[in-house]
Amino acid sequence: MNVPLKWLNRFGLLLALLAIYLLFIFIAPSSFSTMRNLETIARQTVIVGIAAIGMTFVIISGGIDLSVGSIVAFSSVFVAYFLSKTHFSPLPSAVCAVAVGSAIGLISGFLITRLKVVPFIVTLGMMLLCRGAAKGIAGEQKINAPYTWLNEVLASLPPERSWMILSPGVWIFIFLTLIFAFILRYTVFGRATVAIGSNEQTARLCGIAVERTKVIIYTLSALFASIAGVMQFSRLTVGDPTVAVGLELDVIAAVVIGGASLSGGQGTIFGSLIGALIMTIIRSGCTQMGLENWIQEIVTGAIIITAVALDRLRHRKS
Amino acid sequence: MADNEIKTPPALRMNNITKAFGPTVALNDVSLKVKPAEVHALVGENGAGKSTLMKILSSVLTPDTGSMELFGNPYSPKNPIAARNLGIAMIYQELSLAPDLTVEENLTLGIEPNFTGILKTKKIRQLALEALKVFNHPEIQPQLKVSKLSVAACQLVEIARALVAGCKILVLDEPTSSLAAGDVEKLFDLIKKLKNQGIAVIYISHFLEEVRKIADTVTVLRDGQIAASNLPGVTSEDKIINYMVGRKIEQLYPRSNRNKGKLVLEIENFSGTKKPIAASLKLHSGQVLGIAGLVGAGRSELLRCIFGLEKIRKGKIKIGLYLGPASPLRRWYQGAGLLSENRKEEGLALSMTIAENVTMSKLRSFGRFGLVWPSRQNQNTGRWIDKLAIKCASPLQRVDELSGGNQQKVAFARLLEHNVDILLLDEPTRGIDVAAKVAIYKIIDELACDKNSHKAILVVSSYLPELMGICDDVSVMCKGRLGQTHNINEINEHNLMQEAIGTA
Amino acid sequence: MRKILSLLFILSIAFLTSCSKQAPVDKSKITIAVIPKGTTHEFWKSIHAGAVRASQELDVEIIWKGPLKEDDRESQITVVEDFITRGVSGIVLAPLDNTALRRPVSEATRAGISVVIIDSALDSNDFVSFVSTDNYIGGQKAGEHLAKLLNGKGKIAVLRYQEGSASTQQREKGFLDAIAKYPDIQVVSANQYGGATTETAYKASENLLAPLRNADQALSIDGIFTPNESTTFGMLRALQDNAFAGKVKFVGFDSSEMLVKALKEGQINALILQDPMNMGYLGVKTIVAHLRGEPIEKQIDTGSVVAAPENMNDPHIDKLLNPDFAKWLTTK
Repeated sequence: MNVPLKWLNRFGLLLALLAIYLLFIFIAPSSFSTMRNLETIARQTVIVGIAAIGMTFVIISGGIDLSVGSIVAFSSVFVAYFLSKTHFSPLPSAVCAVAVGSAIGLISGFLITRLKVVPFIVTLGMMLLCRGAAKGIAGEQKINAPYTWLNEVLASLPPERSWMILSPGVWIFIFLTLIFAFILRYTVFGRATVAIGSNEQTARLCGIAVERTKVIIYTLSALFASIAGVMQFSRLTVGDPTVAVGLELDVIAAVVIGGASLSGGQGTIFGSLIGALIMTIIRSGCTQMGLENWIQEIVTGAIIITAVALDRLRHRKS
Repeated sequence: MADNEIKTPPALRMNNITKAFGPTVALNDVSLKVKPAEVHALVGENGAGKSTLMKILSSVLTPDTGSMELFGNPYSPKNPIAARNLGIAMIYQELSLAPDLTVEENLTLGIEPNFTGILKTKKIRQLALEALKVFNHPEIQPQLKVSKLSVAACQLVEIARALVAGCKILVLDEPTSSLAAGDVEKLFDLIKKLKNQGIAVIYISHFLEEVRKIADTVTVLRDGQIAASNLPGVTSEDKIINYMVGRKIEQLYPRSNRNKGKLVLEIENFSGTKKPIAASLKLHSGQVLGIAGLVGAGRSELLRCIFGLEKIRKGKIKIGLYLGPASPLRRWYQGAGLLSENRKEEGLALSMTIAENVTMSKLRSFGRFGLVWPSRQNQNTGRWIDKLAIKCASPLQRVDELSGGNQQKVAFARLLEHNVDILLLDEPTRGIDVAAKVAIYKIIDELACDKNSHKAILVVSSYLPELMGICDDVSVMCKGRLGQTHNINEINEHNLMQEAIGTA
Repeated sequence: MRKILSLLFILSIAFLTSCSKQAPVDKSKITIAVIPKGTTHEFWKSIHAGAVRASQELDVEIIWKGPLKEDDRESQITVVEDFITRGVSGIVLAPLDNTALRRPVSEATRAGISVVIIDSALDSNDFVSFVSTDNYIGGQKAGEHLAKLLNGKGKIAVLRYQEGSASTQQREKGFLDAIAKYPDIQVVSANQYGGATTETAYKASENLLAPLRNADQALSIDGIFTPNESTTFGMLRALQDNAFAGKVKFVGFDSSEMLVKALKEGQINALILQDPMNMGYLGVKTIVAHLRGEPIEKQIDTGSVVAAPENMNDPHIDKLLNPDFAKWLTTK
């Protein structure tokens, strides 16, 4: 393989991101190239991006998690619930909500490994179950919560805190991305995840604890969905059980655009990050251009298919 | 005789067929002639080229050189469907019926009588009844779901399907391997009926007594060449076996002096879910113990039970100091490693790198606190790449980009990297070229003899010369039962083959 | 394959580029973003038409952009944020939630972008004006009218719209307060929610009606109130499918072609009409006035009327029942 092609292979996704960004700079209003826009894009990517970290592990292991969107709503409702009904302070509320949300993933993981039900079905069931539970806890309405610093986590920075450069939520996202990119690449757990997705039988032959690893993976996915739920609460300032319907599809799209294969064994955290950014840029660019929603949906669909098809083509060539 | 041939041309003639897969020559100048209304047996060891030849006949593969004729006409179908339309029907060991459809739907699958897409159900029923009439098996009802039928009945349905499609040459590949004795007799009756209808049957089997019973003519393949052709069906088993194995053991198999050390693996009365049945054996360090037998005899299951990949129903097992069953993870820890016979589906994670595959069983040793440092993985892997002469760009190359032989070396390197004391090798040289085979024989010999490592090695192989060449002792497995251990100097291939076939 | 894909890619870029031509950026012109709760309801199309009308009269640019997911709070927040980033001159917003939209609105204000709230209230002071139907009064009108139809006695049911939607809650409250003045009218159900879409409203209606049947399968209630278009239409379909239409006094809110037809046929007895075109029109007009430094009211009522079969041919009512939004939306 010659050198330019190798570069294209390694940085192809980054180039695609850049190309799409430049395209919008070219056709969208001049505001698109401002720093403020980059900051907005970063903030708007956080929820899908955080959920995508967990989903990357799931998809690399050859599974799928459809319950992500519901868990986001579930944990956002719980944060509001703890804040308003039990009068916890913000941090314990967030931690408890994340714990409750992660428990859902633990249950999914056990069902998948012990009952040997395919992940698609288990998480599909969990998706409905969590959505219902969220609505039930919220009494089929939003839960209003007192305004706390939790609501500032993902807001654009007020002038007096501009030294932070990016919102705390974005920093948390960047931090999690780096940590888990490292975990995927440099730990036994990360390698086991790839091995299971690449060939589960080989993993078993090599003495990898397939079942235990899978339980951890689905718990992680729910953990990240719950953190995304806290972020969602931060943005909404209310606990909304109807939020994030279909979010899991955005998350899966981000991971797949990022080069992961739905049959497992392939994918990177940074790829998923770029996938999530591409999705946000398309959405934000279309909005700022004032495109009608139906056009925007068509464009997004076309770009997802093109991106993934080009990626597969690239793999087949090499 | 000559006059007769002019009047009725042979049903099938395959002339000077040659087929190579990369460096491996699977068929070398093979010719075959099958007369109409003849049962022609094709025998040979595993890997002798029988299935390759049949794949060429059914156009799954195209030959490199050579030609074929069907009833005197040149025959060169473009694809398996064309071959089927010309009257070639293949019945494989694994049956290919749609289990959720009924018998009649299966019989007419793909050739359903219809009127502009709408099925003519009456016509279908009539066709099915006609086809089934020949068999004289009233229990096979046309409207029965195939999943409800026994294996033998499924086989009959499949043969019936071939008849409905108008087959003239029927290939049966190991048809009796999954049948009970009574069903075998019924199958033979049926084959005789088909013969009377003028259909030529090519019968592939390991079971020579069956061949003697049913075949008119026997052709023996060995190492991709014709060892003997057009033997009469009544040829003695001894003679056929001689043709099958009759080659000299070449200097392919290095052998240093080996010393049997302490006992490292012992099983007693050891049974899996189906196979093995009450197996017992003892394996010492510095010993290479071979397990011979036919495909499906339960040899792989024996290794998998030992390694914890399949459940042990009863029996005793002791590995080193450890007693009782254990998971693969524990087995690795106890110093045992398994090389899977199925490289692509189980042995290797094809989409991962060489380094990942070689080090997968001991990830924990590449860093503390659950960390894995790729540089160390690569470094260790690099050693084995050099030692085993694995042809690759770097340890970071994906395994699916390697040739079969190099893939097998990667799988082998995993056992070496883990430095296990007991190597369980399942068909270690399947599907790889001679050079890679020799390399693997050399490693096995070194592992067993080297005073420092002094490993114990259990090898399953279907290739008798290989076992004779590399092993110190051999046991034969037949239908789930493991025979006693023979010293290699006290037995020959002929006896082993007899024991494997179950005629000893 | 690769050629086809490249072609697809180029086409989509070309498509995007050509779309961008439709919304040229003109620095000298005032640009107003109008953000509804959704884009598919007829109600929002009327608002759109009113906004377009105002923009043509006032010579300003408007960008009409609803949340990508209809009725999704997060989606609407994102749209507001994107317009803050784009730096439009002003935003006219119909907030999906009276609290969740507070922060983006105050962020807009902080960025120097004025916001006019239309249709539903927002619990905040960061906007310059609130232009809406006085929903409470609208609800009261519905209550009074239904009471009159029932001669002050009977059993009634209310199918609510959705929690957190301030405007419909106001209507429901106004309605129930008006009914409370009639001691002989009994509210047998007022805790069911129709949800965001016609489909969910239809299912909710069926669930609501099922237990309200007599032994002879006739309905045991005399009157029904629904607080918006989707619940009214969902309820109408449920009544029609069970052959109850016309046999029960039915007062709805808002209008659409199907609802007007039902009104004509007597399957609906009255519709409380807002003036959405006026709302869109006044929303844009108010913010432009504010931007041009003219004084504006903090709260503006766009009015509501009761349309019944007997008055539906009045020119004023007819204009509301059959809004001519197509004229404004097709010319662009």
